[in-house]
Amino acid sequence: MSEKKAKLTAKIIIEKYMSVVALILALILGGIIIFVCGYNPFEAYASIFEGAFIGKTAICQTLIQATPLIFAGLAYVVAKRVNLINLGIEGQLYMGALGASLVALMPVSLPTPVLIVSALISAMLFGGLYAGLVGAMKVKFGSNEVIATMMLNTIAQNFISYMVNYPLKEEGKTLAQTRLFDETAWLPKLVNGTQLTIGILAAAAVCIGVKLIFDRTRLGYESRCVGLSIPASETAGIKIGKVMIIAMLISGAISGLLGGTHVLGSDHRLIADFSSGYGFDGIAVAALAGDSPIAVILSGIIFGALRAGCMVLNRTTGIPTEFIDVIQACIILLVAAPLLVKDILRIGKRRGGRKA
Amino acid sequence: MSDLMSVITSTFSMSVPLILAALGGVLSVKSGVMALGLESMMTMGAFCGVLGSFYSGNAVIGILAGMAGGGLFGLGHAVLSVRYKVNQVISGIGLNLLAVAATTLLMQIIWDNKGSSPQVASIDGNVFTSPITYIMLAVMFFEYFLLFKTRFGLRLRMVGENPKAASTVGLAVHKIKYIGVTASGVLAGLGGAYLSLDHLNMYVRDMSAGRGYIAVAIMILAKYNPFQVLLCALIFGFSDALQISFQGRGVPPQIMAMLPYAVTLLVLAFGARHITPPAGVGCHDDD
Repeated sequence: MSEKKAKLTAKIIIEKYMSVVALILALILGGIIIFVCGYNPFEAYASIFEGAFIGKTAICQTLIQATPLIFAGLAYVVAKRVNLINLGIEGQLYMGALGASLVALMPVSLPTPVLIVSALISAMLFGGLYAGLVGAMKVKFGSNEVIATMMLNTIAQNFISYMVNYPLKEEGKTLAQTRLFDETAWLPKLVNGTQLTIGILAAAAVCIGVKLIFDRTRLGYESRCVGLSIPASETAGIKIGKVMIIAMLISGAISGLLGGTHVLGSDHRLIADFSSGYGFDGIAVAALAGDSPIAVILSGIIFGALRAGCMVLNRTTGIPTEFIDVIQACIILLVAAPLLVKDILRIGKRRGGRKA
Repeated sequence: MSDLMSVITSTFSMSVPLILAALGGVLSVKSGVMALGLESMMTMGAFCGVLGSFYSGNAVIGILAGMAGGGLFGLGHAVLSVRYKVNQVISGIGLNLLAVAATTLLMQIIWDNKGSSPQVASIDGNVFTSPITYIMLAVMFFEYFLLFKTRFGLRLRMVGENPKAASTVGLAVHKIKYIGVTASGVLAGLGGAYLSLDHLNMYVRDMSAGRGYIAVAIMILAKYNPFQVLLCALIFGFSDALQISFQGRGVPPQIMAMLPYAVTLLVLAFGARHITPPAGVGCHDDD
């Protein structure tokens, strides 16, 4: 009887923490990949852990890496709430970066707080409107948002590349980038001697803000309804189009913040093609977080730690950093496929049973 | 005059991989599985094509390897979205990310170069004499015939429209979907192999560069009809060709590079307003 109960509890725990199980499976898969590449997976993971958590520099590096991931994950979660897939985070963050840069490059001297706040608001506007366009297209024309966002991503990337090659290019230089922003436009550092800025606090604060909107406001309630059932929401008199467009605006504004905090906090200038696919990393972060805004913080830190650790690993052992992208793709697929994870666990169990 | 000729040639050669992938996408969607994984299948096709040619020294074996690589990812997409009921968008995007990451990792391991592979044996680069162009045309006619004139095609469309009903009348719903989606992978893989072994003679990182998504847009715009796929793909091939021929003529290249994507976007907004996919896309036969 008690054994049965224990088995049942174990089953419930596995069901509840399916995404954690999927994460562990993906990490095991990553270990196998490292092994196939000819390295010792245990040493590699120990080295990743050390590079991510041991010491002040390591922890700061983890948080630096986590900042854009948290923003991207949150942006994805907000759109997902109304059942829209925002694959346009990449394009929106480029527009956000442009918005912030235009303010930071203004030839007027403002005190740091005013300048940074207005630059970030401009970033949110640029990113938000770019995403709102997709929402409007979806509502007005029924366009497939997945295709629309993919097209807008390439357009934004090319547009930024054009801006830093022509109108905003630093005079007399060959590189495709703007001039360095004045130091008054730099995000203040959180820990001296590192690159960690208050961006991470902003990311966490926005997550909490979104959580409050989701739980405490009419918009949060309506977005939940629209995500669950469009016909039911229609019957209840919710303006579906409006809710969808607002969700896309917020999602885009968050992506814009990603771009804004990146240019103000780490590059201090606008550079062409600066994003390393943050928009798509967001899907992995959101998947692991189970689409909950608070869990996004933790999930972002986990992925940030993997990245920070992997950078150290790359320096010490030469394992290509791309392997982290492979793990990330595996996490997306495994977290989205609980049935597959169950099948894998069942095979594992059968094997374990045979051995015993 | 030579400009015009080069634009025309370029239009066709830009269109061939798009048409192949979009024809594959039609098979996938008609069987009820969204085709967002096309990008991964093209990437695998391009990469495995070069891999096959690299090891065998024979471009034909390379192309077959490319089709196999695309087919493998097609099968993966089918298993995930049919057997394991993964959200088809997530499955497609996840596979796309996996394909780019895995191919880059493999390039690093095999050739110790993240950016491009060494040059390998390739086939004739002229679009009008390339065998792949004629295979593409044959596939187009065959696919139309298969979908609309044969019993298998009727069944495939029924599975796509209403998997539950198809299952009730005793069709092997899963098997038919597996065939449809795997075939889409093989065709997209061929399109990818065309990129790496016909356009060029090597694999370049992220070679597909969003063509898989453009193929999806083409397929939607073509109302999932093989013949209209040809027509729509030529529009995009033309804007791509125009973009290339305008390079280095005073217009900033970044602005011109936006053209194919902007055209897709506009067409999507204003041209594809009332096109709906088969009713059973994303549905399962047993829930």
